[in-house]
Amino acid sequence: MGEKAIIEINKLVKHYKNADADAVDSMSLRIGQGEIYGLLGPNGAGKTTTISMLCGLLRPDSGDIIIDGLNLKTSADKIKSLIGVVPQDIAIYEELTAKENLGFFGKMYGLKNAEIKNISNSLLMRFRLGEKAGQRAKTFSGGMKRRLNLIAGIMHSPKILFLDEPTVGIDVQSKNVILEFLKEIKESGTTIVYTSHIMEEAEKLCSRISIMDRGKEIASGTPKDLLEKNTDCKNLEDIFLKLTGRKLRE
Amino acid sequence: MNKLFATIKKEILILSRDKAGLAMLFIMPVFLVLVMTLLQDSTFKQLDEKQLPVLIINHDADTFGLRILECMKSSKFFKITEIGNIGKQDLIQKIEKGDYLIGIFINENATKQIRQSIQVKIQGQFPDEVGQLFEYEDSLPGQARVEIFFDPILKSSYKQSILGSLKHFSAMVEARLMFDIYSGLFKDLLDIELRPAGNFDDIVHFDEKYASGGTNQIIPNSVQHNVPAWTIFAMFFIVIPLASNIIKERHSGVSARLLTIAGSKLTSNLGKGVTYFIVGFIQAILMLLIGFFILPLFGLPSLQIGGNVLALFVVTIAVVMAATTYGIAIGNIATTEQQSSIFGSISVVILAAIGGVWVPTFMMSDLMLDLSKTSPLNWGLNAYYDILLRNSGLIDLLPGIALLLGFSFVCMFLSFLYSKRGLN
Repeated sequence: MGEKAIIEINKLVKHYKNADADAVDSMSLRIGQGEIYGLLGPNGAGKTTTISMLCGLLRPDSGDIIIDGLNLKTSADKIKSLIGVVPQDIAIYEELTAKENLGFFGKMYGLKNAEIKNISNSLLMRFRLGEKAGQRAKTFSGGMKRRLNLIAGIMHSPKILFLDEPTVGIDVQSKNVILEFLKEIKESGTTIVYTSHIMEEAEKLCSRISIMDRGKEIASGTPKDLLEKNTDCKNLEDIFLKLTGRKLRE
Repeated sequence: MNKLFATIKKEILILSRDKAGLAMLFIMPVFLVLVMTLLQDSTFKQLDEKQLPVLIINHDADTFGLRILECMKSSKFFKITEIGNIGKQDLIQKIEKGDYLIGIFINENATKQIRQSIQVKIQGQFPDEVGQLFEYEDSLPGQARVEIFFDPILKSSYKQSILGSLKHFSAMVEARLMFDIYSGLFKDLLDIELRPAGNFDDIVHFDEKYASGGTNQIIPNSVQHNVPAWTIFAMFFIVIPLASNIIKERHSGVSARLLTIAGSKLTSNLGKGVTYFIVGFIQAILMLLIGFFILPLFGLPSLQIGGNVLALFVVTIAVVMAATTYGIAIGNIATTEQQSSIFGSISVVILAAIGGVWVPTFMMSDLMLDLSKTSPLNWGLNAYYDILLRNSGLIDLLPGIALLLGFSFVCMFLSFLYSKRGLN
């Protein structure tokens, strides 16, 4: 990582009540500005818990999170104004139209009416939802909802974008539009932290990767580095299976 | 402020598109007030307008029997049928068949028995040296008998009503007979002819008034009782759509997304509270308007709000706040929509039942009466009754308003505690 670290986490620990083991166990990492950083791992690895702590949705039991030089414990509101979050759930109002959804979230981000109008129109067109802008989200297909979910997280042009499984369960075309857009905003300097199960996608998209299992980071580096270190593996998926095992997870 | 307005706009849009929610918030309460007021009005009026059918068999063709019959016929509460030539068994059969709700059997010689009983008592008052004043018939038993037969379906209140009337009429006849006997004695012993005594029922005048303050006399009726009761009940039903809205938002992930936007979660909760507060207030106005304009179309009296409009406004604000914050608390505490809708609806029905919405608190046992004082619906209802029936002012209502606001504070505190649950 050559660039200045925009996200730094040190010995982060999270334990859920009644759980046998820590969901995140002494996790440390540094993410540079403008990187697309992939958090990969099987179910229950601790990816979503890590992202939730980074966004301020969960309180860590111990450890520090520093974002853009600010400590999350003391400057949560300042940090929240720098970040955008695209959750795994389709976190939009199904009863509202696409435009009404963006109008509401735009106001929540503190955007002005004219900005909301311009940004909404441009992003809806970019994600091929322009013609459906006046339709209620509940009438959208899964792919359309996921695109709208993404727009709602990026319309304020955040410095750092957290994406939790942004392409899960959608058609190839929708996935392609989303990934192309992520590459574009990376070029403009946005830092992206991204979780996924899809190794091929991560291999193409991410500048660096952490593979997590049972709350711990078990490998990290660029996709190229990881392949060089594991010469017996043809691709990232092979490395993933080698490191996390072939046993089914709950 | 922009965030708050955006949240209110969003909530109004969502609510306006939720047909079932709108029906629950506005149509159901309208029907509830109409149906319950009409139902209870007919119950209130039953004694007045739907006279109780009474069959009287009078075998005493003298003062007592004739006078009782005359008084009963003049009463607006009873529809009297008199049959002179049937026996007691026939009367019982007619009651059993349901032809009449009440049967009265006046035994023969009732007047003679009463007269003789009075004479015995008067004789007891005179010293022995005066001697025997009256001649008694040895064959007469001691007491006059009037037998009353009730249809088993008759409510206890109606039984009390007819027994009270009969005792009142009987006392009047006894007084008249006593006066006649004393008049006879004056003539026999002192040779003084007394003039007729006139009526005995106007010695004491019962002046009926309602104990309400101020000069604005409001007449209690089913409208004055039911409109506030069912208005409060409907306002508390806000709990169901409001709690469901909060849970839906949480389950969809929107709530989590708002937590990642600085200051948005608090604004969102506030916006919800304000929106549903407005809805509750509109409900209250709607119900009052129904009391003013719609209920009179069904032959009911129009709602009278008296002169304390400010007090009515303040109490309505306190009730709506209590209902709204209760909904927000349930939305934050419950983990599923099923939980919130079942707990929300049942808890409101229970709070309404113990609060005196279904059954007036004066009819409750001591235990239930004590329990009723714990229900926020009871605090609101009493405050409304204080305004609409007792003409109380804002100062008199402060304890009730304070309780409602205290309840709101507790609900807000619980909501805050539970909304932090996801962060840990």
